[in-house]
Amino acid sequence: MNLSLPLPSPPADGCPPALATPVAASSPGRPFFIAAPETLHPALWRAHQLGAAREAVTPSGFGALDVQLPGGGWPHRVLSELLLPHPGLGEMRLLAPALAALAGGSAGPSRCVMLFDPPAAPCAWALGQLGLDARQWLVVHGRVGQGGPGFGMVRSRRRLPSRLAPGADVLWALEQALRSGHLGAVLAWLPAACQADVLRRLQLAAQAHDGPVFVFRGLEARSRPSVAPLRLALAAAGIDALAVRVLKRRGPALAEPLTLALSPVLGARQRERSRASQPQPAPVAWVATA
Amino acid sequence: MLWIALHLPALSLESFVATLGPAQAGRPVVLVEAQRIVQADAAAQARGVQPGCKRATALALAPELVLGQADARRDAQALVAVAHAALAFTPAVTASGHGVRLEVQSCLRYFGGLAALLQRLKTALQPLGHRLQLATAPTARGAALLARWRADLEIGAHSTDVGPLRTLLEQAPVWLLGPGREDIQPPGRPEATAPPGGRSLSGAAHRATWEALQGMGLHTLADLRALPRSGLARRFGPELLLELDRARGEAPEPHAWVELPPAFASRIELFTRADTSAQVIAGARILLARLVAWAQGRHGRIARFTLVMHHEPRHRRDDATDPALLHTALEIALAEPAVDPAHLHLLLAERLERTPMPAPALELSLRCDALVPGQAPNGELFPTRASECVGLTRLVERLQARLGRGQVCGIEPVAEHRPEQATRRVPADATAVGRSGTVGAAGVIESNSQVTRPVWLWPEPQPLHEQGAHPLLEGRPLQLLAGPERIETGWWDGALAARDYFIAEAGDGALVWIYRTRLPADGGGWFLQGRFG
Repeated sequence: MNLSLPLPSPPADGCPPALATPVAASSPGRPFFIAAPETLHPALWRAHQLGAAREAVTPSGFGALDVQLPGGGWPHRVLSELLLPHPGLGEMRLLAPALAALAGGSAGPSRCVMLFDPPAAPCAWALGQLGLDARQWLVVHGRVGQGGPGFGMVRSRRRLPSRLAPGADVLWALEQALRSGHLGAVLAWLPAACQADVLRRLQLAAQAHDGPVFVFRGLEARSRPSVAPLRLALAAAGIDALAVRVLKRRGPALAEPLTLALSPVLGARQRERSRASQPQPAPVAWVATA
Repeated sequence: MLWIALHLPALSLESFVATLGPAQAGRPVVLVEAQRIVQADAAAQARGVQPGCKRATALALAPELVLGQADARRDAQALVAVAHAALAFTPAVTASGHGVRLEVQSCLRYFGGLAALLQRLKTALQPLGHRLQLATAPTARGAALLARWRADLEIGAHSTDVGPLRTLLEQAPVWLLGPGREDIQPPGRPEATAPPGGRSLSGAAHRATWEALQGMGLHTLADLRALPRSGLARRFGPELLLELDRARGEAPEPHAWVELPPAFASRIELFTRADTSAQVIAGARILLARLVAWAQGRHGRIARFTLVMHHEPRHRRDDATDPALLHTALEIALAEPAVDPAHLHLLLAERLERTPMPAPALELSLRCDALVPGQAPNGELFPTRASECVGLTRLVERLQARLGRGQVCGIEPVAEHRPEQATRRVPADATAVGRSGTVGAAGVIESNSQVTRPVWLWPEPQPLHEQGAHPLLEGRPLQLLAGPERIETGWWDGALAARDYFIAEAGDGALVWIYRTRLPADGGGWFLQGRFG
């Protein structure tokens, strides 16, 4: 990112210069004063305001979420971290509108979506129902025998202990894919115990990638520092609803979690029946796992 | 006519150094013939080892010396590689001894002048790793003599006109002429007229000629020309005068042009046997450089090449050696034909890392007969669809080379009711990636379209515990919300599935897809098939 502020040149006669609008004009003798410094450059924002996106964004497809995201969508060229207690909360239904928009024809030629070490095998039928083209998706796993902890629930029995750091293969492949800059979107499942410098390295590599990068980690990573400028924690909020808590963004902290309605799994009648059998809504449990 | 002559003063040393491994890096290198040193590199000469001294003397002066045997075939292969690299610039190339000569008058305009052409020639020859001396002249023999003489005669008045060439040749020393002169190295100072003491059995005749000329007081070519021609021809043979005339442009000169073979085959014998893949890849580097030079000479791109590692025979008896164990062939096929040496090197290195070596390798040979004519598509400033395809192909190729072909795969739906077989993992075909065209009718998804299948499917269903008649997931009971959906299929291939599928809600609100089997063989219990992502 090139931060080039149009700094005013020092005046020759010692008087403060008069700057163009929207800065408050200052007469000679008064101290230098800028009314709205955040308008000087798009990279500047005040703590109580929502920052503007420096790069392009992809709208997430959920109005309530777009309002809370800086720039109005998922940012490109940076990591967006999504923390889940376990896979299968509705995270793919959350990302489906954005991925469909990226792969669709409106943004130009269709681009490839790559998954790195997903927790389970994606079902092509389900992807089609969500409006995504499974032919554009590529799934990358590490070498057999070099498996990392990942965060899927399925552990293949064939994985043997390896001398390499766990998940080194997947991290290398992720970095190569980000650096190539030919992909539309990248989804990566990383272990919660990922080192901070690994994420920093991925963030640097993501600057070459023209699209959003989604990194999924376990919920215990919320207490670890991360370099990703956008961090969301997801939890289930009932049937076909997702509670999103914004942990970190370029802007003020969001106090209450958002509740988003996802693409429904149950039909209308089934939902009525389930609601009738459960008079009280299931509480959103933010279980702090040690 | 404009000839460029390339002289490789240290060709034998460099072709020997190419066979060394990383363990011998940094040590002084000499070439030995019949117990005497014939050539020594700069590091060895700094220690005091001179050509002509005995082997024992050299080892006493520098104990860590690497001694190699002079091999004419190895030198010829290296020279042929240089000729192939020169063939990318012009079709008229001849090679002999330690030099390559190319005629470039017709392609000067294409390359934008002589200076630009010389620069491009040096850049193209740099991967082969030879020290070069270039000179230009209107005649081939004149350019060859100038290149052997001094290193600063690349461009000048002598390049284009015969008059200045003849004037320059008047001052050339006499030891440049004559047969067998390849073993005589020129001295360091350009104005010196005495060749160094390069000892070689085949150069003994030349030394006799040169000593005779010096005894007569002839040091330069001007002195030679002042003598009567018939006397010189009787004393030294007509070849001396013929060469002088050809250099000055007074006699015609026939050439034997170098032609590119249709298939590439090159062999290198390693100095020490290679036990690890790192040593093999170090030895294969020069072979890859020669392959790229050949491909560029033919103006094509490589689609497939094979590296063969020749192992030492296990047993000394010939009948016990199994021919299949004597060599290992690695075939590397490129999804997109390329002539980029770095990319080929990367693919070969990744492949070598995954291939176990059955025995140490003594020789390496590289073969290629699959060449795709035509140049590579130009790199563009702004990414377009075509360049993105190429980039994606390269990326998938790289990932597959490192991780294995089956680890990078695409998802293919199969018309099948059994959920675990309805999606097939297909190893990604690098050529077809990104070319499947735009998405059909993805468009905008409606938020109220129902999703009936879970995104995440476990390949093996997990059995669930039961409490009473209700299934438990992680100790908490599951609430059945929708179902049953009965799937009963697959009797024809032995994997009969008779299941009732339900959508259930777990304790924390997530939706899971579970089923109860109806086959008595499976026990009639509950299984977890997937989660709704």
